[in-house]
Amino acid sequence: MEEVPIIEMKGIVKVYPDGTKALKGVDFSVKKGEIHGLLGENGAGKTTLMKILSGMLHPTGGKIFVNGKEVRFKSPADALANGIGMVHQHFTLVDVFDGLHNIILGMEGHGLFSKIDVEKAKEKLQKLMDELNFQVPLDVPVEKLPVGVQQRIEILKTLYRDVDVLILDEPTAVLTPIEVKELFEVLRKLKSQGKTIIFISHKLREVMEITDRVTVLRKGELIGTVNTRETTPKELAKMMVGREVVLKIEKPPKEAGKPVLEVKDLWVKGDRGEDAVKGLTFEVRAGEIFGIAGVEGNGQTELIEAISGLRKVEKGKVILNGKDITGRPPRELYDLGMAHIPEDRIHMGLVIEMSVAENSILGLHWRKAFRGPLGLIRWDKVKEHAAKLVRDFEVSVPSIEAPAKSLSGGNQQKLIVAREVSKEPEFIIASQPTRGVDVASTEYIRNYLIKLRNENKAVLLVSADLDEVLQLSDRMAIIYEGKFVGIVKPEEVTEEQIGLMMGGIKNES
Amino acid sequence: MRVDIKGFTKPLVESLVAIVIGILVGAIILAFSGYSPAEAYIALFNGALGSKYGLAMTLSSATPIILTALTFGIGARTGLFNIGGEGTVYFGAIMAIILTNLWGNVLMGLFGGILAGMAWMAIPAILKVLRGVNEVVSTIMLNWMAYFIALYIVLQKIPNPEDPNKTLAVPVSARFPIIMKGTELSWAFAISVIAALITYYILWHTELGYELRVSGYNERAARYGGINPKKAIIWSFLLGGIMSGLAGATEVMGRPPSYAISQGMANIYGYGFDGIGVSLVGRNHPLGIIFSGIFFGMLRAGATSMQIEAGVPLEMVKVVQGVIVVTIAIPGLLDLLKKVVRR
Repeated sequence: MEEVPIIEMKGIVKVYPDGTKALKGVDFSVKKGEIHGLLGENGAGKTTLMKILSGMLHPTGGKIFVNGKEVRFKSPADALANGIGMVHQHFTLVDVFDGLHNIILGMEGHGLFSKIDVEKAKEKLQKLMDELNFQVPLDVPVEKLPVGVQQRIEILKTLYRDVDVLILDEPTAVLTPIEVKELFEVLRKLKSQGKTIIFISHKLREVMEITDRVTVLRKGELIGTVNTRETTPKELAKMMVGREVVLKIEKPPKEAGKPVLEVKDLWVKGDRGEDAVKGLTFEVRAGEIFGIAGVEGNGQTELIEAISGLRKVEKGKVILNGKDITGRPPRELYDLGMAHIPEDRIHMGLVIEMSVAENSILGLHWRKAFRGPLGLIRWDKVKEHAAKLVRDFEVSVPSIEAPAKSLSGGNQQKLIVAREVSKEPEFIIASQPTRGVDVASTEYIRNYLIKLRNENKAVLLVSADLDEVLQLSDRMAIIYEGKFVGIVKPEEVTEEQIGLMMGGIKNES
Repeated sequence: MRVDIKGFTKPLVESLVAIVIGILVGAIILAFSGYSPAEAYIALFNGALGSKYGLAMTLSSATPIILTALTFGIGARTGLFNIGGEGTVYFGAIMAIILTNLWGNVLMGLFGGILAGMAWMAIPAILKVLRGVNEVVSTIMLNWMAYFIALYIVLQKIPNPEDPNKTLAVPVSARFPIIMKGTELSWAFAISVIAALITYYILWHTELGYELRVSGYNERAARYGGINPKKAIIWSFLLGGIMSGLAGATEVMGRPPSYAISQGMANIYGYGFDGIGVSLVGRNHPLGIIFSGIFFGMLRAGATSMQIEAGVPLEMVKVVQGVIVVTIAIPGLLDLLKKVVRR
């Protein structure tokens, strides 16, 4: 007997007001009680499809059935009433509220002055947490909680509304490996209780581990749905990008040259005045990739900002090519041969409202090549430059006049890499260079970093993606609470050893 | 030149919609107040556009508000909400009178306006850069300080010995020639258009403008891009100061018959505030500001004939202006309208 799927979407089409076709007639169906992976590169339409299912967006065409009955959602509230809830990639929490008030927000009664029954809510929540076997502090402002805990509050918030279908949008993007493990336990528990889970991701390994079935989207089209047990990561990767992905990266052996960047006993404070970097000393040599691995929030951001002139150095020295650059402004550093791929491409690496051409000269706009008389910018030269970057790095753009925000995440990142490389640096910082970037772009960027190394540049790589650091680095440091636990060669350690070091446990063997 | 047609269409349509809504709501209010909307609008547009005289008055009314709109527009494009144009106008006018009375030529007058504008706008700039004072707060308060300081100077320091109702006049040698005899339209209008064009060039075609715009969109990206956001803030204020300073200067150098500041500063009061609306309708773009300035100038010029021919008080025109500005200022309102239309 064919079971009626709990969710069935038929021929879903979504055209955004600016004419972008995000979905071109996608069919999608989910069985009750399964964990269903939704896989695809950035811009494949995963999130759009799920926003439609959760009532946040209205489809341009197509039909949605819940338990075989056609529905039409006007708002997320309609979807919730049908038992569908979504946890977004970017959390929707009120930072200064505690967990409890975040969870009951919007459910506290319908009159402006109706009383909130906090005790009853607490009781229900406690029961829910006991059932799931995980606890979150309910009385601490969420801004003080780690990201992993905030995410659980988001999940609780959705479950509290009695949903049967839980949609998770890239839930692991912000989590540490340990937190991912814990999240998966929660998901399995939910499954055992009969909940249905839709898991959006572009990470093959996670999809292989947690899901029962996987649906792959590519460029707004359905590629197919497969049983996870009957497929391989390689096959999924092929479905995602439409070609065989070279998951292995070629890295010929190479002797490192003289030190290009030297950091000596560096101390840097974090945003709240705490010591974030505590006396780091290291060097990055010509022709090597020096990787820094570690759980996010252990001083990586502060370290990079201090080196690149964006954050005050409390104590210690940064030396570039023998020149003391401690506390020098970014403009001077760029002129001295530094380039910086920042971790936050939306808020730092690009001015997303400005065009691709305008973004292509950020940080080198003062160079002679673009300068006409009277301080005029030679837009013809800028356009040539932008067109060259787009061509050389295969950045897919509607036009170089289009705003940077119209590019997909992977293409935005490629644009940044292209621009930074065009500064012709001797030392380049790559901070989370492939975070949130699709498989094809990731491969491209990683290979490019290797290429820079082969061209005898010094590369400082910081990444929360351990595989990336292991794969690319010639030498790597593991950072924990502002200090290096150790500096090792990737080929000389096991993943387990590194895992321990990331947790602050020194390698004794 | 880099003109992106596609980028212009949407704001243009939105502004036109706002104008239409403003006119319609104005009509409703007129009808409720017992006037004939049709008669009133015919008188208004006829007065402003129906004759060479009206056209001249429209353009001359547009002159100062184009300039003060540039002050707000430059701020908005560079991440500032600079509403200090009002106070700056006074000092621009005063300095132009003083300098032209010392050296009787046009250039000295313009120089006076520029100098006073930059000096006065340097105050909120320094407060923001050094102490992080929000420019909305500082410029509002500085407008009031400017008003009373200027009033003191007007009454006590540069009174006209022959006419107690106004200040010293700009000498004939430093006045802008009148373009059309019998009207108030002088070559000062050209100054405002040139200022808008230069502003456009600075913002979109120079390194400084690039840095200003990047800082305006995103301070973190600016810092990352080797730009000093503090420098950008100072430049934005100074450029804005120049524009409103020029508004004051051109007003006393180019508007017959008085060529002076009247008692109580009635003839130079309010341009800074009107400029905010002009800039918003012009979508804070220097080229848009030229057109919206002329539109607002038309409302001002036509208001008189609306009063004479249709018996509608001048204040009604202000109501129409207000509705247009409010409509424009609520972008969400238009999005809402779109949704309603779609359903």
